[in-house]
Amino acid sequence: MEETAAAQPQPAQPQPAQPQPAQRQLVVWRGDQMPVQHNIPGPGDLRDDTNTGRVLVGSLIRAQLGLSLMCLMLALAVTVSFPLVAALVPAIGRTTVAGIPVTLIVLGFAFYPVFLAVGWFYHRQARQLEARFIHLVDPPVTDPDD
Amino acid sequence: MTDASIGAIAFVTLLTIVVGARGIRVARTPDDFMVAARQVPPGINAAAISGEYLSAASFLGIAGLIVSQGLGSLWYSVGYTAGYLVLLLLVAAPLRRFGAYTIPDFADGRLGSKGLRQAATALVLVIGWFYLLPQMKGAGITLQWVLGTPYWVGVVALGVVVSGNIAMGGMKGITFVQCFQYWLKLCAIGIPALVLLIATGHDSARNLQPDRAPVFTQATVVQVSQATDFTLTRPVRATVSGLIDQREYRHQTVPLCACRHAAGAGTQIGFAAGSPVPTSLAMAPAPGVSWDSPLSAAGTDGAHPLASTYGIIIATFFGAVGLPHILVRFYTNPDGEAARRTTLIVVLMLSTFYMFPALLAVLTRLHAPQLYLAGDPDDVILALPSLLLPGLPGALLASLVAAGAFAAFLSTSSGLLVSVAGALSHDFMNRGVTSFRWCAIAAGAVATTASLLIGRFSLALLVGWAFAIAASSFCPLLVLGIWWRQLTRAGAAAGIVVGGGACLTAIVASMVGAATSGWSAVLLGQPAIWTVPLAFSVMIVTSLLTQRTLPGNVGQVMLRMHLPEALSRQDYRSLPLERARRSTGR
Repeated sequence: MEETAAAQPQPAQPQPAQPQPAQRQLVVWRGDQMPVQHNIPGPGDLRDDTNTGRVLVGSLIRAQLGLSLMCLMLALAVTVSFPLVAALVPAIGRTTVAGIPVTLIVLGFAFYPVFLAVGWFYHRQARQLEARFIHLVDPPVTDPDD
Repeated sequence: MTDASIGAIAFVTLLTIVVGARGIRVARTPDDFMVAARQVPPGINAAAISGEYLSAASFLGIAGLIVSQGLGSLWYSVGYTAGYLVLLLLVAAPLRRFGAYTIPDFADGRLGSKGLRQAATALVLVIGWFYLLPQMKGAGITLQWVLGTPYWVGVVALGVVVSGNIAMGGMKGITFVQCFQYWLKLCAIGIPALVLLIATGHDSARNLQPDRAPVFTQATVVQVSQATDFTLTRPVRATVSGLIDQREYRHQTVPLCACRHAAGAGTQIGFAAGSPVPTSLAMAPAPGVSWDSPLSAAGTDGAHPLASTYGIIIATFFGAVGLPHILVRFYTNPDGEAARRTTLIVVLMLSTFYMFPALLAVLTRLHAPQLYLAGDPDDVILALPSLLLPGLPGALLASLVAAGAFAAFLSTSSGLLVSVAGALSHDFMNRGVTSFRWCAIAAGAVATTASLLIGRFSLALLVGWAFAIAASSFCPLLVLGIWWRQLTRAGAAAGIVVGGGACLTAIVASMVGAATSGWSAVLLGQPAIWTVPLAFSVMIVTSLLTQRTLPGNVGQVMLRMHLPEALSRQDYRSLPLERARRSTGR
């Protein structure tokens, strides 16, 4: 006989006026009931290439690609528009700020912080995205008696 | 001055050989030769990647091109940095998780085709050799400038040192050499730039005025070291000692018309303050693009600057992804997450570095406009310190620059040669260490010979072309291979052959001078603008037409590339029960 205790999730409802103590319920399972867990999507689905696994991996890849493309578009929009704007409005290329041409300021220095900011944002978001995926597929088992 | 420079170059070279030689004892298996053991912390790894990446073009080429062609050439440094952002966003983590060593390994593992693998190997050779040429040229002109040796001496010296070193040590020692060389290069360009900036002050921004040709800000005597043809934009009276326009003068005041002149070797020309700066043919800007324009028409002789600029942008932004010698470094990261962190640090390191060539180029235009008489734009940075700071400080800075430049050639060509020799020995010879050694020597010999022929092309242009080939072949292969499960063998092969082939053909046609004006000059001189979209479309359309040949294991392969290591490391088979046991404390 095996025992597993699980905390009942709090139902999503408007907060009552009086804070209630968290409800806990002890669930006792027989050993032969354990395989029920297979119905929950898990790492096994990924390994066995089941339909569920494919949906999971597909969603991960799409989310990653969406994030990458969004960051790429952001960086490209800032940089690639500059030659076009300068070609349409030639005065921009001739402007100087404190005797320094705008072209030198923009191309020589200003783009690099943009690249770093986009890269840092992506790095953080991608890490969080992966952490969420790991949590979804392989939730950490918490022992309520701890 | 020369002695200090020789000493500095010899020191850098010896250090590379000694540290590389230490690797001989450590490197035992072919695996060690190919990729140093996979445990390098991100900071060191990022410095090694940057050290390997910052080549002759970054160190000498970009600044020279900015001085001669204008600020639009800054797109090269912006693009070389942005290339790593693109790599971070699209390639870094999945490629590390996939766990192949080289691009041919990736093509083979992702699509399971020997033919595709060999096509990829052939392209590694093309890109690698194309990229080796400017490194060799850089060594040739640096030794020429420091020692006065003929061009070929520097080329052959670099070829011998690098191929010998690779043949003996492989890459085990090189990782730490590359890391050290990033910091050396940063110091070698950053310290001179900052010292010269402080020494010259910000007093004369006259040569930065829009739409103005550069003028001498103070009375200057220019010594023409070798026979040079130059042009003047305005007529000027100059004090000439020596041969000019086939007439001998002895400290006489000569009126020079606004036209082309020929100065003999050793001629001294004295210009008054405010005189227009004479420009040698090698430094002549492309017509139609002003110096402060954000557009660049270098390499296309002034035709359609906007299209030409976008050609540079596409090639450099997407070329870094497909460089064969860079990707191999990502496998020294422990996991995908570390690969991302490493790449982000690389973007930071490159951003820091690339501010300094721009600074040096602007200092040249402001304070040493006589360098517009230089015989080769790539010499400018080497000559600048001793012109601005006379005496010992200038000489020391000059030798620092020369050492940094040599570090640039050594590190990049080492990395390239490892990739080329690895590809050769792995796919076209019998594998193993002995074969790898001979391939390194053979590949070095080929590159050295070819470099003797390309002396007249700017370093930045040559490297830009290597990027264009990588962007039109390996970039679509990697990006589609990682993100698009419907990519097929036929599609990938057609894409890299058509894209890479078209790009290479256009560049060779441009090099032999097939087109020098109009749209043909742009389409041949900056081919990335059409070959990159072409490669992507061919790859996608051919894949869609051959969907029946989709590899059966594509699901598993996609999983391997995208699954975080935390999940893929676990042994799933025993998971549910194991976890239940652990949680109940049994």
